[in-house]
Amino acid sequence: MFEFIKATLQRPNYIAFVVLFLWGLYIAITHHNLVKKLIGMYLVQTSVLFFFVTFSVKPGATVPILQSTTGKVQAEAYANPLPHALILTGIVVQVATLGVSLALVAAIYQKYDSLDEDEILKRLE
Amino acid sequence: MTQHLPALLFCIPLLTAISMPMVGLRHRRWCRPMALAAVCAMSVTAVVNLVVVLKFGEIRYAFGGWAPPIGIEWVADGLASVMIVAISLIASICLIYGGAVSPLPAGGRVVLYYTLIMLLLSGLTGIVFAGDLFNVFVFLEVATLSTCALVGVAGGKALVFAFRYLILASIGATFYLLGVSFFYAATGTLNMADLAQRVPALLASKAVIGGLVFMFIGLGIKMALMPLHGWLPDAYSHAPDAVSPLLSALVTKVSLLAWARILYWAVGAGTELEATQILRLVWVSGALASVVGAFLALTQRDVKRMFAYGGLSHIGLILIGVGQGNQTGLAGAMFYLINDAVMQATLFVVAGAAIHQYGVQTIEDFGRLRGRAPWITGPIIIVAMSMIGIPPTGGFFGKWYIILGALRSGNYLAVGAVMVSTLLTLAYFIRLWVRVFGGEQASPSTQRVEAPFALRVCVGTLCLGIIALGLCSDGIVRLLLDTTTSLGL
Repeated sequence: MFEFIKATLQRPNYIAFVVLFLWGLYIAITHHNLVKKLIGMYLVQTSVLFFFVTFSVKPGATVPILQSTTGKVQAEAYANPLPHALILTGIVVQVATLGVSLALVAAIYQKYDSLDEDEILKRLE
Repeated sequence: MTQHLPALLFCIPLLTAISMPMVGLRHRRWCRPMALAAVCAMSVTAVVNLVVVLKFGEIRYAFGGWAPPIGIEWVADGLASVMIVAISLIASICLIYGGAVSPLPAGGRVVLYYTLIMLLLSGLTGIVFAGDLFNVFVFLEVATLSTCALVGVAGGKALVFAFRYLILASIGATFYLLGVSFFYAATGTLNMADLAQRVPALLASKAVIGGLVFMFIGLGIKMALMPLHGWLPDAYSHAPDAVSPLLSALVTKVSLLAWARILYWAVGAGTELEATQILRLVWVSGALASVVGAFLALTQRDVKRMFAYGGLSHIGLILIGVGQGNQTGLAGAMFYLINDAVMQATLFVVAGAAIHQYGVQTIEDFGRLRGRAPWITGPIIIVAMSMIGIPPTGGFFGKWYIILGALRSGNYLAVGAVMVSTLLTLAYFIRLWVRVFGGEQASPSTQRVEAPFALRVCVGTLCLGIIALGLCSDGIVRLLLDTTTSLGL
């Protein structure tokens, strides 16, 4: 148990990820305001992207551009570009999702004049 | 030339989706011919692709010429090629129907409707072909976002349910991405063929198992697996009538296909996987979904909701086949998946026509159809036969192979679940038949409405498809078995 706690405390970034993820999930589930639900969803997405970045950090590595073309390539001197490319794509997906959901929220607000889920469901009937 | 077919199949709907708003804002009546031409071209290309794959073996397409472990790879094997043929043919029929049910589908937003359908098709094509876990995520999101927009495109009540679907589906996608990141952290690769070599040795690692479970939860939300299905009945029953056949037929099924791919092609089911209980998780949740979904369908009054819950139970049946860990079960499940796509499309086409022409909303209203609408009641009988599993239809053979697979792995509980769900399916269709063929005529004043020609074509083709799938089941299942032999199950 003590070992586990010690190992966890040495990785504050993972703790931050777990906290952000659960916090976002909690907001998305419990809040009745549609925009707050969106914020929760956004937090969950961001936390996973953060997790992806944080485990692919390579201490002491530089940008993945070859520094000299002669000799053997020192792979450990360069950061792995793949996770960053993935995260960029992930951010684009996240922005697109946010755009569509904000458009939906705007359309709902125009129609039902409210952002509260209970209120909207009451007016649906 | 032939090796470019998968990319071409993706480009047709994507380029049409991009050019549609440009053309459509000026000439709205060009949208429909454009969309129909695109799906026809896609169907033809898909058939050519299938023939090429059957003749020359699978196509592996490396995008941009980057070799697979680094670049993105698409795999067009037998399974993917059959699926893409099914997807494009069903999409063509749904588009023909979409124009038939009302001249201006989706509340008059014609341009948006056709653009979104094309985007959805490109997303689905991507999921089917992708040989890379992250690529699957991106296309899942493309498909999800266009689905949400399609549900809400006509405005009104559907907006709220589209929003709810969007939140749930995005969280599902995030769970999937989390699973992918666990896999990447553990193996350092995202390519499925590459993973298949590295993962089996790592299956004792908690990161890989955790990743698999997260992926299952994420895709479970997308495929509306039973406890995670909350978004589906509302979204499908409130979606415009021109949209719901397409959604119910394709969106959830393709997510299930992605899960089967990950489980068998990226992880590789073998003795290592047996030890991890993941397969048990899959079939137990499938069995629960198949029984509870059919039971909930029995309790519904609204027609579209009843069919939506019926669809949930069929997702469960397919998962039972996937979770057996043997070739028969997997091939049977994939065959049933194609059948289920056709059956769901037929059900929602018929329900849409009944709602549109006769104002049917609840089961009780079905009495109005008695003796008036052979083009609606006839197909219901054929679909019901297939969903229950009566021999000449495709549904029978799908269930047959799923049960065979379960028997082969000695899994009698799964066989029982399939049986119970079949009985419940029979029960809810009997409930419908009693209204249509027996009892009192509800309101004699309603006139007989002539079914439009396009509707007859759609319904006729779909019913023929259901029977043809049954008659050709041997060939298709053999093809699926051939595709899965390389897995070494």
